[in-house]
Amino acid sequence: MTRNWRHPVPAPDCYAMSRILYDIHHHENALARYKADPDEYMASSPLSPRLKAAIRNNDIGAMYLEGVNPLLLRAHCLGLKIPESEFVASLKAIEHIVNKESGHG
Amino acid sequence: MAEVVGVYATSHTPVMLNFPDAISEADRKEIFEAFRMLGDELRALRPDVVVIISDDHVHNFFLNNLPAFCIGITDSYRTPVEHWLKAEKRVLNGHGSLGAFLLTAALNEGFDPAFSMELTLDHGVLTPLELAGIAGQVTVVPILVNCVQPPLPTMKRALQWGKFLSDALRDFAEDLRIAVLATGGLSHDISTPRMGMVNEEFDRGFLDRLAAGNDDELIDYATLHVDEAGNGAEEIRTWLMAHGAAGGTFEKIYYKPMPGWYTGIGLGRWTLQEKA
Repeated sequence: MTRNWRHPVPAPDCYAMSRILYDIHHHENALARYKADPDEYMASSPLSPRLKAAIRNNDIGAMYLEGVNPLLLRAHCLGLKIPESEFVASLKAIEHIVNKESGHG
Repeated sequence: MAEVVGVYATSHTPVMLNFPDAISEADRKEIFEAFRMLGDELRALRPDVVVIISDDHVHNFFLNNLPAFCIGITDSYRTPVEHWLKAEKRVLNGHGSLGAFLLTAALNEGFDPAFSMELTLDHGVLTPLELAGIAGQVTVVPILVNCVQPPLPTMKRALQWGKFLSDALRDFAEDLRIAVLATGGLSHDISTPRMGMVNEEFDRGFLDRLAAGNDDELIDYATLHVDEAGNGAEEIRTWLMAHGAAGGTFEKIYYKPMPGWYTGIGLGRWTLQEKA
């Protein structure tokens, strides 16, 4: 069965990714600093280059698979004005992975 | 002593304000009218306070400190916290002393809520008030339950909280007229491959079980089937808290699956049972 959440308790990488998304949309000037230079903004984060790339590239599906909080993903989409169709398509693109994990496919 | 004069529940979604045109004009008018009528009904009850049971969507609370339950105990709340929400910035009046009373009573009764004296409330509180036409007109006490980041409090615990509120609200010494408004759900999935899925069968089953009045069956259903209804459906905890707080009979006001808004849109009220 497909479950509502990726992890029963968040993992450290998921925390670090969620932290970046949270800060971008809750701290003054953070959104502007992030948009100006995402790599510079994330330089001090302990995340691997692969996970930083997922954030920088707006790879919503990859972030979902890592367990980033889905409400933060939604806020990120609306806050960065990522087109709704792109947002949904990025999630649909990983549906087969989730279904396989759930025994649906 | 305080009196509970009305208990209601509604769905909420930021899409109502950000992308209202994502559904047909006929549906939109129908839903907005249902909210407006609920607002008229609630206003007619002349509540001194509306206790709003909702969830914080990872704005006031983050994974570094995320309470299962939190009671607001101050006299004003800014809203909305989301810089992207298409809503007027407001300051809602709060009833700090009722919030403080509920906090203390909860601790005395074996519940362990967090409290906050500085919440900037999000769309979960604001959108139903805006659509009901009562934003800025009512004084609020927010009670926030974690529905957004596992591990979550159980459905059973949400109902227990509601039953606690049923007694505690009526034990408040001031002659207040108190309404309760729960907001959240029904089925929806946020930022998952199922986004856009609305599970009408789950929603109608949940509403039917609220009306049936068998708490054990209601909790079993919510617990066993919420994964079929999406991560946003975890917000039915707010409806369970309202159900416990009312201690009366649930009546559906409106329901329609609205995949264009990613959400099953429901509104309901409880017929109150007078306490002896």
